[in-house]
Amino acid sequence: MDFKDGGIMDRRREIMVGLVVVLGIAVGVVGTIWLQDGWGRDRVTIRAASTGVGQLVEGASVKFRGVAVGRVESVAVVPSGEAVLIDMSVRPDLIIPTDAAVLIAPESMFGDWQAEIIRRDDYDTHPYLDYPGEGVLPGVALPDFSRLTATADEIAQNLTTISERFEVAFTEETAQNLGRAIDNLGEVSDRFSEIINQQAERFDALAEGVDASTRELGAAARAARVSFERVDAIVADGQVQKLFADAGAGVENLRNLTETMEASLGDLQTAARQADATFARLDALLVAVQDEDGSLGRLLADPTLAEGALDAVAQMRDLLRDIQQNPRRYLSFSIF
Amino acid sequence: MSIRIVELHKAFGPKEVLRGFSLEVRVGATVAIVGPSGSGKSVLLKHLVGLMRPDMGSVLVDGESVPDLGRQDLARFRRRVGYVFQFAALFDSMTIAENVGMGLKRLPGWSADRIDHRVQECLSLVDLEGMGERYPSQLSGGQKKRAGLARAIAASPKYLLYDEPTTGLDPVTTSVIDELILRMRDELGVTGLVVTHDMTSAFRVADRITLLHEGKARFTGTPAEVRAARDDVLRGFVEGDPGLYYGLQGRGDHGP
Amino acid sequence: MLDFVVRPFASAGRGTVRILGSVGRAWILFAGTAGALRHPGIWGPQLVPQLARIGVASVPIALFIATFTGIVMSLQASYTLTGTIPLYFVGALVGKTMMLELGPVLTGLTLAGRVGANISAELGTMRVTEQVDALETLAYDPLAYLVVPRVIAGIVMFPIVVLLAMTVGIVSGWLTALQLLDMSSPEFVKGLRLLFEPWDVWFAVIKSVSFGAIVTGVGCFYGLQTERGAEGVGRSATQTVVIASMIILCLDAFWAATLL
Repeated sequence: MDFKDGGIMDRRREIMVGLVVVLGIAVGVVGTIWLQDGWGRDRVTIRAASTGVGQLVEGASVKFRGVAVGRVESVAVVPSGEAVLIDMSVRPDLIIPTDAAVLIAPESMFGDWQAEIIRRDDYDTHPYLDYPGEGVLPGVALPDFSRLTATADEIAQNLTTISERFEVAFTEETAQNLGRAIDNLGEVSDRFSEIINQQAERFDALAEGVDASTRELGAAARAARVSFERVDAIVADGQVQKLFADAGAGVENLRNLTETMEASLGDLQTAARQADATFARLDALLVAVQDEDGSLGRLLADPTLAEGALDAVAQMRDLLRDIQQNPRRYLSFSIF
Repeated sequence: MSIRIVELHKAFGPKEVLRGFSLEVRVGATVAIVGPSGSGKSVLLKHLVGLMRPDMGSVLVDGESVPDLGRQDLARFRRRVGYVFQFAALFDSMTIAENVGMGLKRLPGWSADRIDHRVQECLSLVDLEGMGERYPSQLSGGQKKRAGLARAIAASPKYLLYDEPTTGLDPVTTSVIDELILRMRDELGVTGLVVTHDMTSAFRVADRITLLHEGKARFTGTPAEVRAARDDVLRGFVEGDPGLYYGLQGRGDHGP
Repeated sequence: MLDFVVRPFASAGRGTVRILGSVGRAWILFAGTAGALRHPGIWGPQLVPQLARIGVASVPIALFIATFTGIVMSLQASYTLTGTIPLYFVGALVGKTMMLELGPVLTGLTLAGRVGANISAELGTMRVTEQVDALETLAYDPLAYLVVPRVIAGIVMFPIVVLLAMTVGIVSGWLTALQLLDMSSPEFVKGLRLLFEPWDVWFAVIKSVSFGAIVTGVGCFYGLQTERGAEGVGRSATQTVVIASMIILCLDAFWAATLL
């Protein structure tokens, strides 16, 4: 009879209870760890400092060369308030470059941000915060505007490609590339003007401290227009004509943008010298081309001219980088 | 004097069930408390084991006041009392053997083997040998009552309280139960208190009979005295004559 | 005479007394149960059977409900998140709602029916057939023998069942996303992790512990109070389910207000 412990039924019941309890706890613990941190990998923590973090939050992804390598563990302001420290857990096998810095930027248009580990030299124009402390990486948070500047970078890239083609031949492909570049430029200016319109009120309040680069942009637009007219004059080919008509539209947009800015910002008559120089050189180049022979064959024959064009394009790129940096300080833009 | 109930009062809301009931039961005797259904017989019984507390009056068992016992003392006290419930109140998730051994498991010094042995003993005492492995639902009404009795006597109590032990049983089974009650008294020397409305059974098992009427002990005496009594209410109840039983009390106030 | 004036006050008074009476009895039950913890010899042996009955036996129904909740959550999330919001938010939505709300509360409400009514009916039957009295006469404290193991089992097993339900719910949402929504696993997991915090799991555990105590406690309370035969047993079971469900929802709001 059943006054002794451990009947078969009791035993089975105990086993079932034990199984369910263990399974439940295991599922809870394992699930938590998995959801929190990815699976079974060791993590090392690296720390970065910056003056701000945009909308970076705990749990945001950390990327290196575009690949997700970890997560942001914590975001905290130091007591003095002069910096924000970001702790990130990343794969331990990741070799972080000695001159690493952290770029904090939107991951997508949907409000989630990421921290990207980069080589500082590759992006040295940003105002990184060098915070004292061993192993603290300098960091900088890009404003949301960086989407736009990414496009500007693409333009610069296209222009580089164009200049490379200039060295070889001014083919139809080159013309297409140039066209794309100019399209991009038009797109940029469209978006600039859109945003400027949206932000017009804010700009009123900022009338005083307009950034140099917005003026440069105005100047650039004017210079570009002149330059493109020159090019138009030398090249009689119909397709190229059309190309430059497109360019004209883009530039027109830029001009509209500038006018908008001027309207809201007041005196913008003095354009930045840098932009002037850039376009002056491009201008000079093209003038030279015209004076020499009035034909494109001359351009191809003389490598120094091509090099000059390349130089001009490089400076153009600098300018666009500058655009990346400055307007963002005054504009913020986010879908969420 | 082993059980002594003095001036016991108990009311449920506006309904006064006991209104000054007094009773004494000597050691070794079996007393039957008779009365119609709903007269408060079971309520009385529950006071004796501390399942209910009196509004007024005292309940003394072996000189101890039952309502005043603390938890621990009450638990200890209850080992001396076996309670046979009206419908046996067997735990239906357990076998009969487990039911019978239930009280023993709480006692110090009872090994599984000893419990097992005692359970068999009790089951054979109530003629339920071999039924230990069945469940209550597999037993007949009479068998359940006997199993309930076996459970009540398992811990060798000094007192046995029977709540309607023969209610709902056929005459043959009723005799069997009555026999058992007598056997408990004679073989085990148990003091018994039988609550019943079955006069045949009461005459058979009781040394003394008390009629519980309107919350009080109307009459107490030996079966012979009861038979000879001239009290109309008692005669009305014994003979099953409502005219007599209800007749002399407040007109129109027809009973419970 | 002035009956119509007095009557509302009388019923208000009666109601108050009844509510206070219930609160008082509940408190007595609670205090008695806490006191009964001193007798592990009585409730100890009952614990495993109750863990099995309250916990293990509840797993299938809890998982069944969680499975369909996960599927529905996933589909409704994708239906809601159209246009600008990327689909991986389905993962975030399924995970977050399963963990914070639907896992614990749906399981709690289901078990209020399954476990609460069962306890109430069982103890109610034991009460009306005098088995509870029989326990007492055999020197078993009914609170220690009947209530303590059930409440402990509820407190221990509810979180376990809820953890399993949450997991299954999320997995079923995940599979739905893969099969019906043309999402990829990495996408879903990205959403799942996007808003996940370990605290979510703790929150669910805390909630389900309280639900376990409430469901079993209310079941015991009404079960032991049962009067008047089969009808009383039915009424106790009904009351248990209604009251336990109400308390669960109130507690749910309370925890959300205090812990989040």
